[in-house]
Amino acid sequence: MSGDEKQDRALFLQADFDMELDAAGALEAERLLSADSSANDERARLEALRRTLRRHAARETAPAALRARVLAQIDSANAQTAPAPRYRSSPPSWRVFGASMAATIVVTLGLQRLVGEFTAPDRLTPSIVVGHMRGQISGQPVDVASSDRHTVKPWLAGKLPLAVTVVDLAAEGFPLAGARIDIVGSAAVPTLVYKRREHLVSVAELRPELVNYPEAPSRRLVEGYPVVVWKENHRAYAAVSDLPPAELEAFVGAFRQAAAKMRSDAAPNDGR
Amino acid sequence: MTSDHARRRFAEAILPHLDDAYSLARWLTGDGTDAEDVVQDACLRALSALDGAEVEHPRAWLLAITRNAAFSWLTKNRPRDLVLAGGAEDAETHDGALPQCAEASPEAALIEAADRRSVEAAIAALPIPFREALVMREVNGLSYREIASATGAPIGTVMSRLARARALLIEKLGSASQ
Repeated sequence: MSGDEKQDRALFLQADFDMELDAAGALEAERLLSADSSANDERARLEALRRTLRRHAARETAPAALRARVLAQIDSANAQTAPAPRYRSSPPSWRVFGASMAATIVVTLGLQRLVGEFTAPDRLTPSIVVGHMRGQISGQPVDVASSDRHTVKPWLAGKLPLAVTVVDLAAEGFPLAGARIDIVGSAAVPTLVYKRREHLVSVAELRPELVNYPEAPSRRLVEGYPVVVWKENHRAYAAVSDLPPAELEAFVGAFRQAAAKMRSDAAPNDGR
Repeated sequence: MTSDHARRRFAEAILPHLDDAYSLARWLTGDGTDAEDVVQDACLRALSALDGAEVEHPRAWLLAITRNAAFSWLTKNRPRDLVLAGGAEDAETHDGALPQCAEASPEAALIEAADRRSVEAAIAALPIPFREALVMREVNGLSYREIASATGAPIGTVMSRLARARALLIEKLGSASQ
């Protein structure tokens, strides 16, 4: 028996042990087990391990303090939605009214800029960077591995209710490696992965209302990784890599160009 | 931001799985206090995602969020652990390769004789991809499919990680308690 066959058999018997097989599979496993004493010994070890884990590493009860904190959190999240108390009864004079309008406009514009500059763009960006890091660390940067965009796009379409922009950049030196789905702020986000030498580039496509990315690509540094973010054609993008920043910008340039070309080629069929 | 509806569904569907989330977070971070932070963060994410989201399997869903919250937490607070314990090379090299069936596999009885401390140490020593697969399966009781969707790994990878994690534990516990 070759190594591969041996491994397949071990995984098959493990699946039986975990009750993941259907009746036909379970029957085959039963035959294997009755015919092979080494498979039987392995089964005994797995069962012993499971009993040991049940005894010494069982599911724990969450501390009461944590439960209380979570409950308080829900309540406060709810309290934020309560209407603000009314506090004024007499109508204000026109002068006061005008001044307060002006003040409101100034404050609102200032706040909007502040929010735009600081909060919104980077609130979700760290999660995207984390997704990229995790992909690299786990050695599992893609859920679907393919250099063919006609494979990757339908795969994403099968998972998410979006028409994701998938472009082929092999000619520009960034072959497609595949795609994965990241969780960004608890939303499932399609992320394309491209290769450059030994490096990877992750491009996340976000719902534009979630972020306040600028129209023109803008570079920032998040957790030590260069990230280029931009928004176009009702979509928002964030590209992360451990490539030198200049190369990442070149990638973004190529990506946008190819996406624009794809839009003009197939405008009626593409997208939303 | 958060509707009454989301709040009620959180209490009904998510809160019952707090123990599961806490256990997973504790094994991923290796510490009870850190696990509490992770779970609190995960609950907040879950609550804000519940508005409008249709959640079919709330337990698996909460565990997937907890797992991601744990990774964010580790990245922020203990990036070194993530790299060392995550054992990228380790996971990569061994992912597919099961140990070539042992010259002398330990006896089942030896594995069962292991004490709590050595069990905990053996789990903590597993590279993160193996550890999360093992904990999700043996502690949380998730199916292969649920583990695959929570970790974003193909199902075949989940199966070989799980086999690898078990083989490592069997090897370690079988020899430690001799």
